[in-house]
Amino acid sequence: MNAPDRYERFVVPEGTKKVAYERDTKIVNAASFTIEREDHTIGNILRMQLHRDPNVLFAGYKLPHPLQYKIIIRIHTASQSSPTQAYTQSIDDLDRELDHLKKSLEEEKRRYEEKFRQGY
Amino acid sequence: MEGVSYQRFPKVKIREMKDDYMKFELRETDASMANALRRVMIAEVPTIAIDLVEIEANSSVLNDEFIAHRLGLIPLVSDDAMGMRFSRDCDACDGDGQCEYCSVEFHLNVRCDSDQTLDVTSNDLRSTEPRVIPVDVAARSLASESGGFDSPDQRLDLTVRVVDPEAYTYDEEVIKKAEAMGKPGLVEIYAKEDSFIFTVESTGAIKSYQMVINAIEILKQKLDAVRLQDTVDADIGELTQHLGRGL
Repeated sequence: MNAPDRYERFVVPEGTKKVAYERDTKIVNAASFTIEREDHTIGNILRMQLHRDPNVLFAGYKLPHPLQYKIIIRIHTASQSSPTQAYTQSIDDLDRELDHLKKSLEEEKRRYEEKFRQGY
Repeated sequence: MEGVSYQRFPKVKIREMKDDYMKFELRETDASMANALRRVMIAEVPTIAIDLVEIEANSSVLNDEFIAHRLGLIPLVSDDAMGMRFSRDCDACDGDGQCEYCSVEFHLNVRCDSDQTLDVTSNDLRSTEPRVIPVDVAARSLASESGGFDSPDQRLDLTVRVVDPEAYTYDEEVIKKAEAMGKPGLVEIYAKEDSFIFTVESTGAIKSYQMVINAIEILKQKLDAVRLQDTVDADIGELTQHLGRGL
């Protein structure tokens, strides 16, 4: 009937950017990043990673509405850093953490299978 | 731009690993990472399923929609799914299942000539791609941490022994007991907030281990997708310069 298309959840609508950056008009070093077609999966890991950065004074995310497939991440940093810098840094760090995790899991699988072979 | 990094180096230990079941420990990371992996495994690791059914002739007692729905529920071996495209963003076709990049074709051609009821199962599906077949067809063709610690107060001669830390759910009993003995603060309990135990079960479409690997890969792709595009980056460069901040 009037149900929206299922791809609405995944496909970024034409004319909109995946990530839109908007500076705060009143506070220096504060900005909002609107990320289209993402949810708690990305929002929460980015927020927690941003909290690890001591230059980040505030980092939070919200999913404004369950039927609007976008999240807003708000970052406020100290003057040594900038929201974009902190944002990019946190993505880099998470990316490397996942690389490390994948490598460790592959190694662990080899170790596990080796142990299994020796068991017999 | 800057040399500092706040990266973590998580550790994994596999406890059990079978094709469709896996249990592993994930340590030295936080709940957000564990939860992101869990969410991706549940909802975003691609698998292959029947989505579009064209019926040429159906004179059975089951109607077309009923059969199409049943076909959609059959788990298919999806080892190749990571290398395929989603039909919604396939350039080679309009997502109507006409190309090899986003689709596999199956044929179901069964006829009942006897007066008995004929069972039609996933066994009757003929795939055009030998690597993508129903899971049960594929299956048929194949043959504690324990540590005790002594009380710091030897005169009490009290030992608190943790036999299985994972079986313990927090209650205040030990703490209350210590207070009743006149030794408040003797026992302290801390949760290990950086350790997680994952149990992964798969339908058989993807091996459980591959599921975790794929989830990590998908999460990486998602993170790459949310990187700032260069147009924005340029604005920022200008902005930092404007504010007189060195890089």
